[in-house]
Amino acid sequence: MAGAKMGFNTKRQTLWGWILISPLCLGLTLWVAFPMGLSLWTSLTEWDMLSKAEFVGLKNYITIFTEDELFLKSVRNTLYFTVLSVPLQMIIALGGALLLNTQVRGKRAFRTIFYLPSLIPIVVSSVMWLWLFNSQYGLINYLLHSVGLNRVQWIDSRHMVIPSLTIMNIWNVGNIIIIFLAGLQGIPKDLLEAVEIDGGRYWHKFRFVIIPLLSPIILYNMIVNMIKCLQLFVEPYIMTGGGPVNSSLSFVLHIYNNAFKYGKMGVANAMAWVLFILTLLISLVIFKTSCHWTYYEGDR
Amino acid sequence: MKSKFLVIACILFLISAGLCFANGQKATASDQVNLKYIYWGSPAEDAAVKQALSEFEAANPTIKVEPMYLPGDLDGSTYNAKMKALAVSNTLPDVGYFRPEEFGNYAENGYFLKLDDLIARDGMDDSYLPQTWLKIQGNTYGAYSAAECQVMWYNKKVLEDAGVPIPPTDYRNAWSWDEFVTNLKKITVDSKGNHPGDPGFNAKDITRFGVSYDLWSAMYYPSVWSNGGDIIGSDGKTVYVDKPEAIEAFQNLSDLMNVHHVMPLVTGGTSVSPMTMLANGQLGFYVTGQWTLLELGTMKSFDYGVAALPIMKKPAQLYVSGVNVVFNSTKHPEEAWALQKWMMDPSKTLDLYTSGLWMPTKMSYYTDAEDLAKWLDNDVHPEGFKEAVVDSMAVAVNEPIMIKNINQIWGDYLNSAVESIWIGEKTAKEALTEAAGKIRKSGLLQGTY
Repeated sequence: MAGAKMGFNTKRQTLWGWILISPLCLGLTLWVAFPMGLSLWTSLTEWDMLSKAEFVGLKNYITIFTEDELFLKSVRNTLYFTVLSVPLQMIIALGGALLLNTQVRGKRAFRTIFYLPSLIPIVVSSVMWLWLFNSQYGLINYLLHSVGLNRVQWIDSRHMVIPSLTIMNIWNVGNIIIIFLAGLQGIPKDLLEAVEIDGGRYWHKFRFVIIPLLSPIILYNMIVNMIKCLQLFVEPYIMTGGGPVNSSLSFVLHIYNNAFKYGKMGVANAMAWVLFILTLLISLVIFKTSCHWTYYEGDR
Repeated sequence: MKSKFLVIACILFLISAGLCFANGQKATASDQVNLKYIYWGSPAEDAAVKQALSEFEAANPTIKVEPMYLPGDLDGSTYNAKMKALAVSNTLPDVGYFRPEEFGNYAENGYFLKLDDLIARDGMDDSYLPQTWLKIQGNTYGAYSAAECQVMWYNKKVLEDAGVPIPPTDYRNAWSWDEFVTNLKKITVDSKGNHPGDPGFNAKDITRFGVSYDLWSAMYYPSVWSNGGDIIGSDGKTVYVDKPEAIEAFQNLSDLMNVHHVMPLVTGGTSVSPMTMLANGQLGFYVTGQWTLLELGTMKSFDYGVAALPIMKKPAQLYVSGVNVVFNSTKHPEEAWALQKWMMDPSKTLDLYTSGLWMPTKMSYYTDAEDLAKWLDNDVHPEGFKEAVVDSMAVAVNEPIMIKNINQIWGDYLNSAVESIWIGEKTAKEALTEAAGKIRKSGLLQGTY
C-alpha cells in the first residue's frame, strides 16, 4: 500500500494526509491549472465574451505577429523598461543594503524609510507620482524651475515616459534591500576578518567575499524583479493609459486592452501565452548561465 | 471523540444557519421586488442619481433599488470591463447606464429587453426627442439617458482682466475661429506678463491659458463637423479622417497648443483638472461636456458664463450621452421599465436637470415655455444657456455609436495618431493620413449595427 511506503501507519492516516493537503490541491487545480488550460483553449478561439466562442486554431498567434503592430511596440516598451529598471534597481538596492549593514546611527530609521514605499499600495503611489511628475504643477518640476532649470515633460513626453516609470520603480526597492540585507547578515564574519588579516581593503572584501556569497541572492532578486518588470501594468494603466502615442503601452496593458476594451479574448490569451513563453525563455537563459557566476557554499 | 463531536456540531450549526439565512431572504423577497441600478459618473453625479433612486423607492414602496455605482473614467474602459465580467458571470443588474460604444454589440447578442411594446403601451413614442430611442434593425433596445453636448464655459473675471469682450451666445453667430484665437492670445500670459507673440514670451512658463479642450474622441466631432469634415462615414465603411476638412480641424486644435501656446498640453498623465484651473483663474475658456455644469454649479467661488462654440465653417453640435437599458436577464421587467421611465421623466427627477447634469430627452422641455423654465430658471444655468446650448441641439448629430468596431478604431489607431498631433510630433496631415491608411487595411470597417 502506498500509504505504508510513505511512512503512514494506517489507511486512516493516509486519508487525513489527503484531507489536510486538499486545500492546496484544490487551489492548484481550480485556480492555477484549470484557468491555464482554459486560457490556452481560449487562445485558440475567437471570443468576445458575449457570443459563442469559435475555434480558429492558431489564427490569433499569427495575427499577433503579422497584423498587430502595437504588439511589437508593447514588447519593445516592456523590454526597454526591464533592461533599464532591473540593473539600476539591483545596484541601488545593493548599495542601500551595504549602507544599512554598517554601524551607522539611526540604522533602524533608515531601514524603515527605505522599506516604507513598499508598503504603499501601488495605486496610491501611482497617483502620488502622477502629481510629482505633473509637468505644470508637479513638485519635481517646481524644484527644477526654482533652481533655474527648464521643466521636464516627464510622463507627457514619449522619450521620458519609460525612464520616468523607471525612476518611480527604483523608489520602490525596499523589498529588494531587505532581501539583500538578510543575505549580507548571513555572511560569516570570519571570512571578512580573514581578508583584513591578509591586508585586504574594503574593495577586496566586496569583490572576493561579499559578491560571491551574495550571488545566489543576486540571482533570486534578478529573476523575481525581471518577472515583475515584464508584467508592468498598474503604473501605465493609471498614470498614462499607455500614452503618449503608445510609448508606455506595456505588454500586459495591451493584453488588458484587447481583452476588456475590445472584447478580443482569444487574441489577449494568445498574447498572455507569448508573454509566458518569453518570460520562461529569459529566465532559462539566466538560470543556465548562472552557474558561471553564482557560488553556493558547499559547492565543488 | 469529543473533539470530533464538536467539529460535526459546528458544521451542522453553520449549515443550519446558512439555511435560515437563505430562508429569511426568501421571506422578504415574496412581497418586495429588488432591482439593481448600475451607473457611472463623478461623485456629484453619484449623489444626484442616488437621490433620484430613493425618490423612486418612496413613490413605489414595494420596489427596492440597490445602486451599483462605478466611479467614472474618461473612456469608459473600466465600466466596459466590469460590464463584460457581469455579463459572462450572469450577474448583470436589472437596469441602468450603458456605454454607448458597446450598445450595438450587446443589443445584437440579445442582452437588452426589447422596449417597443412598452413604449407604445405607455404612449411615449412621440413625446421624446426622436434621437432618444436607440434602434437596431428596427427594434428599440435602449434610450439615451439624457441629451448632452459640447459647451464652452468661461471665467468672467479672467475675460474682464484680459480685456476680452463677452463672447456671443447665439450658436449661429458665434466667434469665428480666428477671432477666437486672437482673444485666447490676449488671455494667455506668462509669469513676466508677456502674451504669445510678444518678444520675450516664454511658452514654458505660462501662468494663465486661454482655453482647454477636453481631448477625447467624442469631443473632436463638433470641431470636425464644424469644419465640414467627418471621421468615419455613417455607413461604417468609409474613412473621412484624412480628408482636408478633418485634417484642418485637428491641426487647428493642435495649433492652440503648439503654435499659439494658448492651451496647456494635456496628455494622459496630467492631473490638474481644467475645471480647477478655470475656477482658479488660470484658464479663460473650457470646452467640455455640458454635464460638467453639475460640478461647476457647486463652485460658488467664481462667476462663470457660457459661450457659443467657435465656428470653423458652420455651426455644429454633438448629441452624446450614456445609454439607459433594461437587461434581458431581469426577473422583473415591469418594475425595471418603471424605473427607467422614472429616470427619463423630468417631472419625476427634476433635480437631475436643474443641477446641470442632464438636459431632458422629453420634447416638451424644449418646446413648452413653462417646462423650459422648470429646468433652466435657476442659479446653476448661466445666462445665455438656452441660446448657446439648448438651441444648438437643433443642429446636433448623434455620436456615431452604431458603427461597428468604432471603439477599437479609436483605441488602436485614431487616439495615438491624434495624440502625436497634440504633442506636436506630427502634423495632422501626416498622422491622419497614416492612420487612415492603417484603418482601411485593418479589417475593422465592417459597416453598422
